[in-house]
Amino acid sequence: MSEKLYKKLMDTVIEGEPEDAEQFAKEALEANLDPLDCINKGLVPGIQKVGELFSTGEYYLPELIIGADAMKAALEILEPALVGGQKREVVGMVVLGTVEGDLHEIGKTLVGTMLTANGFKVVDIGVDQSAEEFVKAAKEHDADIVGASALLTTTMLQQKKLVEALESAGLKDKVKVMVGGAPVTDGYAQEIGADGYAEDAISAVDIAFRLMDAPV
Amino acid sequence: MGRPPIEPMRTSRKLNFLDGQQLIDLQEATFRILEDTGVLFPSDKALDIFLEHGAIVDRDTQIVKFPRDVVIKAMKSVPRYFTLGARNPEFDLKLQEGVSYFTNDGCGHIVVELKTGERRASTKKDVGMAARINDYLSSMAFSWTMVSAQDCGLTSPLHEIDATWRNNTKHYQSVTMRGEAICRYGVEMATVLRGSEEELRSRPPISLIVCTIAPLVQDKEALEGALVLGEKGIPIVVMSMPTMGTTAPATYAGALAVGDAEVISAVVLMQLANPGAPVFHSILHAWADPRTAAYVGYPLDSRARYAPVEIAHHWGMPSLGGAFGTEASEPDSWRSAAEIATDPLLVALAGAEIVTGIGLRDTYTTLYPESFILDDDLYHSARFSLLDMDVNPDTLAVDVIAAVKPGGHFLSQKHTRRNMRTSMVRGVNHQLDQSGKYRDPGEYAREKVQWIMDNHHPEPPDEDVQNEIDRILKTADNELNS
Repeated sequence: MSEKLYKKLMDTVIEGEPEDAEQFAKEALEANLDPLDCINKGLVPGIQKVGELFSTGEYYLPELIIGADAMKAALEILEPALVGGQKREVVGMVVLGTVEGDLHEIGKTLVGTMLTANGFKVVDIGVDQSAEEFVKAAKEHDADIVGASALLTTTMLQQKKLVEALESAGLKDKVKVMVGGAPVTDGYAQEIGADGYAEDAISAVDIAFRLMDAPV
Repeated sequence: MGRPPIEPMRTSRKLNFLDGQQLIDLQEATFRILEDTGVLFPSDKALDIFLEHGAIVDRDTQIVKFPRDVVIKAMKSVPRYFTLGARNPEFDLKLQEGVSYFTNDGCGHIVVELKTGERRASTKKDVGMAARINDYLSSMAFSWTMVSAQDCGLTSPLHEIDATWRNNTKHYQSVTMRGEAICRYGVEMATVLRGSEEELRSRPPISLIVCTIAPLVQDKEALEGALVLGEKGIPIVVMSMPTMGTTAPATYAGALAVGDAEVISAVVLMQLANPGAPVFHSILHAWADPRTAAYVGYPLDSRARYAPVEIAHHWGMPSLGGAFGTEASEPDSWRSAAEIATDPLLVALAGAEIVTGIGLRDTYTTLYPESFILDDDLYHSARFSLLDMDVNPDTLAVDVIAAVKPGGHFLSQKHTRRNMRTSMVRGVNHQLDQSGKYRDPGEYAREKVQWIMDNHHPEPPDEDVQNEIDRILKTADNELNS
């Protein structure tokens, strides 16, 4: 019974069926399965397979995103049911958003999906977020990495404000800052004191692993 | 991996460079040139045919003048549509409205080695290589002599047929056969391949390009060879190449008039000799640089580039359009793509039935094998541009748009998952490397052409047919090369 449900959860992620993922997560809880086992034996192998299929070129972006959506839908049911000190194992905690004054969403969404597929826990705080909101979320979620996206030359200046705000909050040593977006460069990232820059969602994963000092 | 099917250019759209009155005026100019100035035919055989059918022949000058009624009567027997047979019947080409069949360029004489970059004279082996690449590519509906078999002496045109058939299963259009003797051997080879004269006539596996000599001169050897093929129902393309300022007037209309008169005079001969013989009309005009007299195929102003296609259709003839053929000497420079990028689109919109020629550089002289792949990409870009767009409830996706709402994204939608893979077609510019970056197109093209040469092996002719072809080649070599 349990193995069958783990397999079903895994398959919903691989096949990208968020509605089914949510349904099987509910069934698992009704059957009194351990939610952490459901995550570790069902969802995690599923999203790892999705990442593998994407890296070998078999899966394209929609399969990757919908697979992550399926995992997210199941996690929303399973994570609140974790008991005691139970916590799902993740590579790192990432708070992600688009900076204040900038409404561009897709870049940081792709980065979030790639990180999720590679074992990170990602909290996406959305677009048009002030430096203060980033700092607040970093504290709340005990973030290892804060990722800030900016698509405009006028809004990329907010990434500098974010670095300064983290410093003011005493978090700069604890939280690494990743920046990205069309006008952002490696040189700019260094200039404003960010810890990492990625030019696309795929290289963002490598950077995040490096910042976590974890093997890629 | 199997061979991709042929993907000809298809469109219901039509681009007209000339209006009705301009076409009448151009045709009238041709009539006047043929009536008053005439065309030089240095062939007693041709002169005899003209005399017999009422043309005015001056034996001393070998100039033939054409009363209008002789031209009109002869042109009435030109077939508008016919079939170009192929070795593989699947690749038979039925000429038809709205379909353009493309082939490679020809006839080059230099090959640049893929691996070493060495430049050298082309050989029979290179003819086979080009034919094999052609056979694999879906842009290629038929095959041309891309480079010449310079290691085969006077019988090289026959060895080019042999090398092509060993490596290619599509229709073959020779660019090099000239003279009665060579053409009789060519007919013999084609008859053996096809099995009978009747089959040869209904599905001719070969055809021939015959070039005129501007201004207003015909090539004796080319014409007399063409008459041999015409008698057997093998199609002939009569091609003129007027160069503005040197071999033609320096005005576009004047150059077209000269080119058209050359083509029509030869077509009249073909029809008088063999009424109903399948023929194509082709004018590949160019410009002479006013400082150096260099041949220029792609000046900045090359307006009405495919007007010759309309001139052909106005005569009721199918047309061969000349596309590609850049003057760039590199395989993958900005110039090599920019000069020719709009060609396939324009020539298809003009409605040319057959079109040459993908893949050569340095004004039709040099073969970099990878250029085949790069030009193939330009071809498909044009082909996709002409495909119809699907507009229906599923493709409009209004429900999907409503589900995403303002500010969202479409990557999470199953509709996107279903359509995104096919909505962007990758050409040479969008091949990804391991790290997700776009590769250098030239490097990719070199790899792809090497892959084709390593992996694509078209079926050769049956053994008994090949033995017979070998025998014919040996006889021809003994007779003509000794």
